[in-house]
Parts: sequence; structure tokens; C-alpha cells
Amino acid sequence: MLVAPKPRVTVRAARHLKWPALDPLERGLMVLCALLLLGFTVVEVADVLCRNLRRPWLNANEFAAGFFVWGVFLGMGVAVRRDQHFRLTAIAQTLTGARRTLVETFNRVVVLVVAISMVVFGYRNYLTGYGSFLMPSLTPIAVLYAAIPVAGVLVALFTVEELVNGWRHGFEGQREEQGLEAGQVPVA
Amino acid sequence: MDTNSIAIIVMVVTFLYLGYQGVPVAFALISGALLTTALFTKISLPSIVGQMFNGINQLEFLAIPFFLLAGDMMTQANITARLIRFAQVLVGHLRSGLAHVVSVSSMLFAGISGSMTADVAAISTVVMPHMAEEGYDPAFSAALVASASTIAAMVPPSIMAIVYGAVGNVSIAGLFLGGATPGLMVGIGLMVYSYFFGPPGVRKQRATIGEMVTATRLALLPLMIPIIIVGGVASGVFTPAEAGMIAVVYIIVVLLPLMARGHIRRLPRDFMEAAVLYSLPMSAVASASAVGWLMAYLGAPDIVHRWIEAVSGDNRVIIMYLMVVVLTIAGDFLDGVPAIAIFMPIIVSLSQLGHIHPVHMGVLIIVSLAFGLITPPYGLILLLSSTLAGVTFTRALRQAVPLYCVYFLVITVIIFFPDVVLWLPRLLMPTSVGCFPNPSGAGFICPP
Repeated sequence: MLVAPKPRVTVRAARHLKWPALDPLERGLMVLCALLLLGFTVVEVADVLCRNLRRPWLNANEFAAGFFVWGVFLGMGVAVRRDQHFRLTAIAQTLTGARRTLVETFNRVVVLVVAISMVVFGYRNYLTGYGSFLMPSLTPIAVLYAAIPVAGVLVALFTVEELVNGWRHGFEGQREEQGLEAGQVPVA
Repeated sequence: MDTNSIAIIVMVVTFLYLGYQGVPVAFALISGALLTTALFTKISLPSIVGQMFNGINQLEFLAIPFFLLAGDMMTQANITARLIRFAQVLVGHLRSGLAHVVSVSSMLFAGISGSMTADVAAISTVVMPHMAEEGYDPAFSAALVASASTIAAMVPPSIMAIVYGAVGNVSIAGLFLGGATPGLMVGIGLMVYSYFFGPPGVRKQRATIGEMVTATRLALLPLMIPIIIVGGVASGVFTPAEAGMIAVVYIIVVLLPLMARGHIRRLPRDFMEAAVLYSLPMSAVASASAVGWLMAYLGAPDIVHRWIEAVSGDNRVIIMYLMVVVLTIAGDFLDGVPAIAIFMPIIVSLSQLGHIHPVHMGVLIIVSLAFGLITPPYGLILLLSSTLAGVTFTRALRQAVPLYCVYFLVITVIIFFPDVVLWLPRLLMPTSVGCFPNPSGAGFICPP
């Protein structure tokens, strides 16, 4: 039977791989993601209302896209800490001992390399983004491109956290309250 | 073999290897793209990362967070239980009654969230314990819940349809309406199978008129959501994103105060969960878009096009069957949402080859991908439902195999009778399937 998770924002699974010092960051990011979704909802409501009042809000789509894009990339970062990303297999969790450490380390190194690529190449895109503009406000598109390197930093941070703690305490351990909260659950 | 073919193989093998090592899909995909770009092309790496942004920076995607939020709020506030009770009074008295309740509840809930995962989680937690009490094999329950949840990928507001429409530049309203009939066919097919071949369960008395009225009254307000979504989009009053937003506002302003007042305090948590939840498919789409773009650059659509053309000529039926095979296999290895972004250039190319209507092809692809999610070796949704039912994947799979007949039948009907898909969009929103107003003023003229 499914047990309802405790009403806590911070992820409870695999605590042995987490630094408690990063819990406030995770909480803050979750709140920020919720605020972005709320802002995005309010923008859509306002857009429909303004249109029906025959006073169209021309910037609505820019705001909506901004909230959406930042929400996606910040969510991508925080989902690494919460171990919520889609996976094809959870093969590493079936292993033990040195093999487990090897596979878990390899997987996280791959994620780390991607995160660093997102930071480096995303930053270059961010700089070129000052040459393109969102219409009609003419805001540089760099404000949206910036989400990628920021997400890269978050992904790298949470991956390093798991790597260091995994080497210290072992990757195995109680994965309490895993269930749906941390269960590689896809959305399809 | 030319360099481009080798590059494509390296990209695919890298993704599959990393994916099966347990690297998250979004990161495995982009790793393959970055490696291939660095080794085989002159494309700059920042432009690959830039494609991640371009892949999701589309207005059509704005609908997805709303539908996930709506589904999450309905499940967390336990409003879904009213829909299940409604299904129970409708079909609970039949042979294998709870199996029918699963199918009908999935059809109803699918019309709200568009998410198979939300569907599995909602139906499993409420119905599976009762099925166990009535002696249903948990493996059968898991197989049925997983199969029924795939309806969410077909009927509006299907998230796969939104992604397909956005990536392939196909009318989302047309895909919504076009998928409704196949979705219903799958639901009814599962009911027919359960009636004749499913466990008998405990026969119950038919609900009284009073019970029916009560259950209908309690379910009436939640049932307005699919009506708002389909009605709004089909009539052209709302875009899909606006329909999703209105569903969310309706739940917050009407449903929660009337039906689950205590849940209002939990709304911030719903927003937090939904905010992370929508970033998961979108980050996979971001990476898959980069892979799809690179595939197109390397000429993958032409390669597959030539291969399929050699096998099928321009025979649309063979093309469609080949696509079903390819996409069902892809659905085994990959979630449907990124699969759409990766395969879109190939799908477009083959649609043109066989002169297949984009909405017809879209619905077929979505049904195939949904089917892939309950087939081995991976079967993501079946894996989830078997976990929730507490049975091994293999046991659930054995029970799911006979249910595949329903899908074979539906896929065959879709391929041979395009009107099964196209009749509803032509009836309700002709412009969504390329019809245009008759110059004489009487009705619409539709392409064949």
C-alpha cells in the first residue's frame, strides 16, 4: 500500500548522500519554482482577461516564456537533488560493493560533465544573447539564456554533493520513503 | 558506411549505453549529442546547448504545467475518488466489475490531467486495495491499470499531443479531438477483455437510482473539467494553454472550496510539486530537441526515409506499420515525450512520402508510443504500476500480454480507417485538420 510522504519540502530519500547545509537551498529552489509557476499562471489569467477587455497585454507572452523557461531549468537542477529525473533503468541500485561505487560514480561523472558543458557553453550563449531581443519589449534574450548556466551550476553542485557523500558513506544505504517521491517516475 | 551514419550510430549507442547504466535520460541524451558533435561535426558545442533552449521555447508547451498541476491538485485533494465512485455505480455491478471501474476511471481522469503517471498513481492507490480484497491477482490489476492509463496519452489534454503538435507544427486541437476515439476504443477494448477473460471479482448489485443520482451529483463538478478543456479548445475559444489555465482556476476557485476546503492550505505544496514535475518532461524534451536537431543535420531522416522507401515504396499502410514498430520499440527504451522530439524529422519525412494526414500520423505515433510504455523490455508505466501493486515486473508483464491484442486491434483500425481519427476534428473543428470554408458558404471542404 502506498504510504503518504511526510509533509516536508526537502527530499527524504538517500539522506546519506545529502549535506544538510544544502537543504535550505533545495527548499528555496522549490519555493522559487512554485512562485514561477504561480507567476506564469497569473500572467496567463491576466492575458486572457486583458484580451477580453479589449486591452491586450502585449508583453504577456514574454513574461510567460520567461517564467516557463526559468521554471524548467531550475526544476531540472532541483530534480537532480530529489532524484526525480527520468531514468531508463535503476541498475546501479541493484548492485553492491565496489561495482555499485563504480557505476554510481561513473553515472554522476557523466552528469557532472554535462553540467559543466551547460555552464561553459550556456554562458557563451548567454553572452551572444545580448545581440537578440524579445519582442515587443526589446529585452535581450540573454535573460532567458541565463537559465541554462544557472541550471548547470545547480546540477553540478548537487552531483558533487552526492559524489562526495557517496565516496564517504557508500552509495548504498537506507533509501527511506523512496516511493513516488524519489522514484524515477516519468510524466508521460 | 559514410561518416554521418557512423555519427548517428555513435550518438544512439552513447545514449543507450549511458541510459542503461542509469544516467538520467535528459543527461544521457545530451551527452550523446555533445560527444557526436565534438567528434564528427564542425558544429559549435554552444549551439548544441542552445538547441536545448530552442527546444522548449515554444508557446504550445505552456499548457503542460497547467494540466500537470490540475491532475496533481485533483489527486492530492482526493477529488479523483469521486470519479472512481461514479465509475463504480456505472459499471461496478458487471462481471469483473472493479476491472471496468479501472477502465472507466482512467477514461474520466485522463480527461483532466493528460498524464499517464498521474493516472496510474491516482487509480492504483484507490482501486488496487479493493481489487486485492476481491481476489483479483495483483499482477492482473497492475497490467490493467497500466494499460488503462495509456488512454491519458490519447485523449485530451494529452501531454504527448501537446508536445507532438508543438514540435511537429501540427494542430494540437486536431490531435486532441483525433485521439479521443482511439482512446475510447482502448478503454472499451479493455472492458470487453475484462468482461470475458478477466477475474470474475465479487458480483455486486446494480446501483439504485438514488445511488446513481448521488454519485453523479458528487462527480458532476469534476466532470466539468474535461468538458471545459475539450469544449474550449474545440470551439476555438481557448488555446490549449488557456484551457489548462482555466481548468486550474476552476479547481482552485470552485472545486476546492466546495469539495476539499481543507486542501486549500496545501496548495503551495501542490504548486511546488507540479513545478518540479513539469520540468522533468521538459528537460528531457530540451535534450531530445538537441538530439533531434543533430539527427536532422546528419541526415537521419533521409537515411530512414530511403530505408523505408526501399521496403514499402509509397504504400502508406506499410509505412505506418513500420512506424508503429519503430515507435513501439522506441517507446520501450525512451519516454514518449523525448521520443517525439527525436523522431519528428523522420516522422515528417515519412508522412510526406506516404501522403499521410499529419493528424492521422500524429495520433498513430502517440498510440504506438503509449503502447511502448507497457511493453517489454522496459515498459515504464507497467514498471510503475507493478511497483505500486507490489508484484514483479515479469508477473505483471505476463498478465499484460493478452491485453496487447486491444492495442493491435486499435492500431490496425487507425491505419486502415483514417476517418476513425479524423471524423471528430472534421465535425467539431474542421480547420484543425486542414479543411477550409466552402466558397459557396455551405460547410467545409476537407482534403482526402
